[in-house]
Amino acid sequence: MTLSRLVFRSMRKNLKQYYLYFFALIFSVTLCFSFTTLQYNPSVTEALERSGTANAGFSAASYILYVIITLFVLYASQLFMKRRSKEIGLYQLIGMTKGLVVRLIALENVVLFLFAVCIGMVLGFFSSRLFAMILMKMLDIDMVIHLVFSQEAFKQSVIIFAILLVVIILQLAWMVRRVSLLSLFSATKQADERIKRFSVFQAVMGFLGLLFIAVGYYLSTILFDIKSGFLNNLFLNMILILVSTMLGTFLFFRYSVSLIMNVIRSNKKGHLKVSDVLAVTPIMHRMKGNSKSLTLITLLTGLAVGIMSLSYISFYSSGTNARQASPYDYILLNDKGTEFINQLEQEEIEYEQDSYNISSVMLNIADLVSVQLEELTLFDGATQTTVIPLSNLQQIEPGVQLEEGEAYLTSYVNVLAEIMPLEADKEITVKAGEIELPLYIKEIREDFMLSEEVALGSPILVVTDSVFEEIQSNNIEETQFTSQIGINLIDERDKNQAEELYKNLADERTIAIGENDTYSFTLESYEELRKRNITALGLTIFVTAFLGLAFLLTTGSILYFKQMAEAEDERESYKILRKIGFSTNDILKGIYAKQAFNFGVPLVIGLLHSYFAVKSGWWLFGTELVAPLVIIMGLYIVMYAVFAILSIQYYKKVVKESL
Amino acid sequence: MNITAVLIDDKIVTYHLFLSCKSEEVRIHQMYNEQSNGKGRKGLSVLVGRKIRKIYGKKSTAQEVLKGIDIEVSKGEFVGIMGPSGSGKTTLLNVLCSIDHPTEGVVEINGQSLSGMKEKELAKFRREQLGFIFQDYNLLDTLTVKENILLPFSISKLPKAAAEARLKELVGLLGIEEILNKYPNEVSGGQKQRTSAARALISNPALVFADEPTGALDSKSATALLKNLEKINQQKSTTIMMVTHDSVAASFCSRVLFLNDGAIYTEVYRGDKTRQQFFQQIINTQSVLGGDGYDA
Repeated sequence: MTLSRLVFRSMRKNLKQYYLYFFALIFSVTLCFSFTTLQYNPSVTEALERSGTANAGFSAASYILYVIITLFVLYASQLFMKRRSKEIGLYQLIGMTKGLVVRLIALENVVLFLFAVCIGMVLGFFSSRLFAMILMKMLDIDMVIHLVFSQEAFKQSVIIFAILLVVIILQLAWMVRRVSLLSLFSATKQADERIKRFSVFQAVMGFLGLLFIAVGYYLSTILFDIKSGFLNNLFLNMILILVSTMLGTFLFFRYSVSLIMNVIRSNKKGHLKVSDVLAVTPIMHRMKGNSKSLTLITLLTGLAVGIMSLSYISFYSSGTNARQASPYDYILLNDKGTEFINQLEQEEIEYEQDSYNISSVMLNIADLVSVQLEELTLFDGATQTTVIPLSNLQQIEPGVQLEEGEAYLTSYVNVLAEIMPLEADKEITVKAGEIELPLYIKEIREDFMLSEEVALGSPILVVTDSVFEEIQSNNIEETQFTSQIGINLIDERDKNQAEELYKNLADERTIAIGENDTYSFTLESYEELRKRNITALGLTIFVTAFLGLAFLLTTGSILYFKQMAEAEDERESYKILRKIGFSTNDILKGIYAKQAFNFGVPLVIGLLHSYFAVKSGWWLFGTELVAPLVIIMGLYIVMYAVFAILSIQYYKKVVKESL
Repeated sequence: MNITAVLIDDKIVTYHLFLSCKSEEVRIHQMYNEQSNGKGRKGLSVLVGRKIRKIYGKKSTAQEVLKGIDIEVSKGEFVGIMGPSGSGKTTLLNVLCSIDHPTEGVVEINGQSLSGMKEKELAKFRREQLGFIFQDYNLLDTLTVKENILLPFSISKLPKAAAEARLKELVGLLGIEEILNKYPNEVSGGQKQRTSAARALISNPALVFADEPTGALDSKSATALLKNLEKINQQKSTTIMMVTHDSVAASFCSRVLFLNDGAIYTEVYRGDKTRQQFFQQIINTQSVLGGDGYDA
């Protein structure tokens, strides 16, 4: 029998067992080729260039993707080689040299890779179109994507997998050469030295693990808190949080889990339940071997969910951000652009409008900050603050009321509000020209009504109409903006027409301010702002979503593969249990508990990590936290559930077969 | 057709010889009348097997491993099954203990037929009525000795106090009090097997099946274990059925069945004989029956 025939024969025989490794390979090739094809697709490149989005994100992401795929394939090959150790041992036992065995397995892998690359590229080629369509949809670009077979993409994918193949063969060769015949036969039993007693050291380490995580979480909540003084050492503190949570996660898996499980089982004093027998004790004893991979998976999950959430928050907030910058569909400032209203009338486009009178005062914001600001000199002294009369606010909030001498502070959210929360119920003094006015701040509100260009991100003061008149009459020369008209379309369907009209206003939208008109800007409609946000973020979102998907599928697969291996290892236990009278259902009950742990714990801790990470600084990225976070986490949970169900199916099969 | 009576020791076993329809070979099929030294049949039968046949494989490759076996075990008996490799000992045990299904025939334990039971009922039945001791111990190495022994109670609930009392009695009998909190890989083979025996006995089963329990033990541990089993058999009148190829182990039994080629060849009773005498008788029987292929 020639070597190649032996290879094909053993492959055919092993196909059932290794089809998963094969699928993992195909999947990796698909992912890789699909992404690179997209990257080098001329229509995509063109569309991106037209929208002015940088293409650099793509190549950076492709490198991250290569890393993910490499780790994944290496891990999968290692896992599946372990299961073949007996076969390798047998080959050697019947007199094959180690060199020959290596050649045999290398040849096998070459064939496997060849098939996987071919199939994966076909799948990748077609799925790339789907991804391109998704990308275009995200960027709000209407464009037909033509699929072009990119030589560059082909070349890159082939190189990546050729390198991977070489690495895997080297790994195999090293493995075959290193281990003796004896240990080859017992490789699957390596985990058997797992039964050890539990020491004080372990208990302490387990406790430390939980403590580190708790400290990391706590620090993350005060990261941007002025009181903590953390802002001064932001970078250092971020590192501290990162190290603390990562170390805590590892210690948690390495020691805490065993510790907790051991407490549970010790309390039973020998009288265990089915779930203890099939979930608690095996998990406890396997934790030593599993802790590293579980830590890695948890951290990757946390990272992926965190990054995806943040970029989704940005994307999701693009509308809200635009709304804050332009609270009305169209905004006209200082008597300019009334031409637009005429045009709307001409075209018989229905609209509603609100008018605002604007003035400004000097206000010392530090008076309203709840903490002492010795270190934050930035906020010292009075700053110019935009003022509007109460009657203007009542246009959008009919319910608000102010007594004489009272005032609201509004439009105060986002970054400033997170770092420096303001307190209402305080007396302040504002200066308008030469006069000073005492005001009582009744409430800090979050309404937006003025263009971002007017307020420049600072809060807006709302005073009673009589006070406003007093202010206005005292500082005409200092105020750059005197009035604003906000226009909302009544019928969404008129949007395109109105956009066209607004675009053609050109000069009417350009406002020049300052002495000798030194500073000028062009007002943008809400729709223009939103589109600009989306194009800027669409690619980032797409790339992070793609990578997140890759992370998710690879980590999920690894958990699944591990469970398959564990199921095989525990086949004997199931046999024993069934012999002494456990029914399949009894055993499955324990297995559900075990799967809930195996998939649930990395998921829950990963999600917790990402929750605290996102929570600490999400407002730097957008205005909506809950919805994007819930959506991303929900997706992750669903995908993990799919993997958990798959592995339960596998266990079911093993348990059924075991007797 | 011939009818011959063979006298083995002081017991008369009648063999009906008949011609096999398929081949010219003469097969021995036995219908035996036992007259064992005045002891006779002890009350209720714990285990009854009738016309048990087991065929493996499909038509063309079919292999008849058990060829219509009739067996009856009374309460309090300690029955040994001996036979050469491939004679169907383990298959018979697996069929009798409900782990495997017979192709034909009926198995009844404590008057309950196993054939109609579903997987769940069978599991419950095994849990409550049967105990198992295996050659390779079959202990879960993630559990301590105590947890392993109490394993059956993880499903069939028993008040903790009652379980503890039973555990205490059994570990006392088997002499494994010292190792209760150790893991299986920390104790010797003999201790593992005694743990396994304790687990088999903890639920007060109607019948204990032991498959080569001494197979992996050295002779000293083997003897200790067998003495324990004998003691439990006598003191608690637990019915035990043990498959073994070791004549010494078999000599602890009260009755030994000899299996050959899928059928019961003969059986011997210990009666009032000493263990040494019984051992001799087993050896003799083996040699009378040809003896080739016996491991002992």
